Amino acid sequence: MLTINSLESGYGKIKALFGIDLEIKQGEIVALIGANGAGKTTFLKTVSGLIQATGGTMSFEGQSLNRLAPEKIVNLGISHVPEGRMVFTQRTVETNLQIGAFGRKDKKAIRQDMEKYYEMFPILAERRNQKAGTLSGGEQQMLAIARGLMKRPKLLFLDEPSMGLSPVLVSQIFKTIRELNKTGLSILLVEQNVKKALKITQRAYVIELGRIVHQGNSCDLLDSEQIRKSYLGEV
Amino acid sequence: MKPGTQKHGKQQTGTIIPMTFKTLAKNPVFKTAAFLLPALGCVLLPHVMTDTYYLGIINYMILYAILCMGLNLILGYAGLLSLGHAAFYGLGGYTTAILITRCGFGFLSCLILSGIIALLFGILLGLPTRKVRGDYFCLLTIAFGEIFRLVAQAWIGFTNGAMGIVGIPIPAILGWSIRTEADFYYLGLILLAFTSITLSLLVNSKFGRAFIAIREDELAASVMGINTAVYKIIVFGIGCFYAGLAGSYLAVYQTTVTPSNFRLEESCLMIIMVIVGGMGSLFAPIAGVIIMTLATEYFRGISEYRMLIIGVIMVAVLLFRPQGIFGTSAFKG
Repeated sequence: MLTINSLESGYGKIKALFGIDLEIKQGEIVALIGANGAGKTTFLKTVSGLIQATGGTMSFEGQSLNRLAPEKIVNLGISHVPEGRMVFTQRTVETNLQIGAFGRKDKKAIRQDMEKYYEMFPILAERRNQKAGTLSGGEQQMLAIARGLMKRPKLLFLDEPSMGLSPVLVSQIFKTIRELNKTGLSILLVEQNVKKALKITQRAYVIELGRIVHQGNSCDLLDSEQIRKSYLGEV
Repeated sequence: MKPGTQKHGKQQTGTIIPMTFKTLAKNPVFKTAAFLLPALGCVLLPHVMTDTYYLGIINYMILYAILCMGLNLILGYAGLLSLGHAAFYGLGGYTTAILITRCGFGFLSCLILSGIIALLFGILLGLPTRKVRGDYFCLLTIAFGEIFRLVAQAWIGFTNGAMGIVGIPIPAILGWSIRTEADFYYLGLILLAFTSITLSLLVNSKFGRAFIAIREDELAASVMGINTAVYKIIVFGIGCFYAGLAGSYLAVYQTTVTPSNFRLEESCLMIIMVIVGGMGSLFAPIAGVIIMTLATEYFRGISEYRMLIIGVIMVAVLLFRPQGIFGTSAFKG
């Protein structure tokens, strides 16, 4: 579905990614894990077109993503739920979802989708007329995910959905992510919460200083000595 | 959730009054009355206020209201700080002045063309500046405003230089010739109504949601699939369109246009009006227009020192109500 070959990118003269190879198949849920500054967010931003790639190729369902504008990539079916949620804090929950459906013309189906996500996240339904800024962190994360889904993507990028959330909420968000995957949605999950991320994903890539250093089945990585040492804090 | 079901639990003092007001506001009779009475008042105003001096002040308020509502779209809704609004206002003014005096165009076609020319120049300025952010965009708009003024001053063959274009004839729309202050008042009122209606339709459309999203978070907006560069250019152009209309109105109202009508100070005054009234809320800038116009008129006796008072008003508003008198909380702090 998504094929990335030796992708390079960075900010101005500073290179952040040095040849990333990554693949996501239809219906898969894949984790991309790594420490701060390893290039996880840069990778997502490059694939969704927010940063220009300086080398390598990216293709989604056979269509090349190189040099495509962000809005074209979204329209191909890749939704990006950005790091730090970035909901429109001064707008209501409802308006946030409407903006998420930007570019879709089927008003009736948009309404139905909205009701679907209100059902999935009842707290959002309760607060649909409240400004998004008044929501708690977890609720904002749910809103950000629902907003990303309003575009009916085939592939969802989640950038650190657990950031700044309490353990209970983290579990809840991860449960939701797994449920979304069960409906057939392919997901690329970027996380610092390595243990939890490996538990809910099928495969994982480990990124270090802009390079993929490990990849494999999540359960294998969870058992791997090296991963346990470097990321799970076990000696 | 039905409205009001959660309010009881909170037991806040003071919720009773807004709630009764809300129920009153939902009453259809009250709604029509709340709309019709001020509208009727506006229509009858020249019959009550026959003093042409006061009516003249109100006409200028209407003119600035149109300008500031357009600027508010750029500044308050799209979040672009434009200090070149007077140039687009001037483009409208000169278009009407030249077409009426030299080409014998009717006023209505001049009005429309003025708006369109301002829109086109807005888009032309927007194209090369679409990637420029914040402060630099502001500087570029100042530069454009100054270029416009200097060209208007130097191109004597076309614009008659610093003397300006004088003797713009009495305009007529479909046989209605606009002569008196009251006539101009009605013309302004029609333009203001047009501005208000089109802008509120725009802001509440899908299109409006897109540029509000851009203002709030450009990155999030672009991952939603909004082409941020294109939208910014379009919003900028539309804001300029209204400036063109206002310029056209100024040309026929004043019967002259000169480069000094469109100085940087005008752009600054418009920005002050929008900020004092409140950015990002459709009708809030009108409050700023009323306050600033009344203040400049009231203190006319102390001539140049009144700018000091305008400064004090501005500082006071920014200190005590940073989001403007009727602004949304989006600009608080």
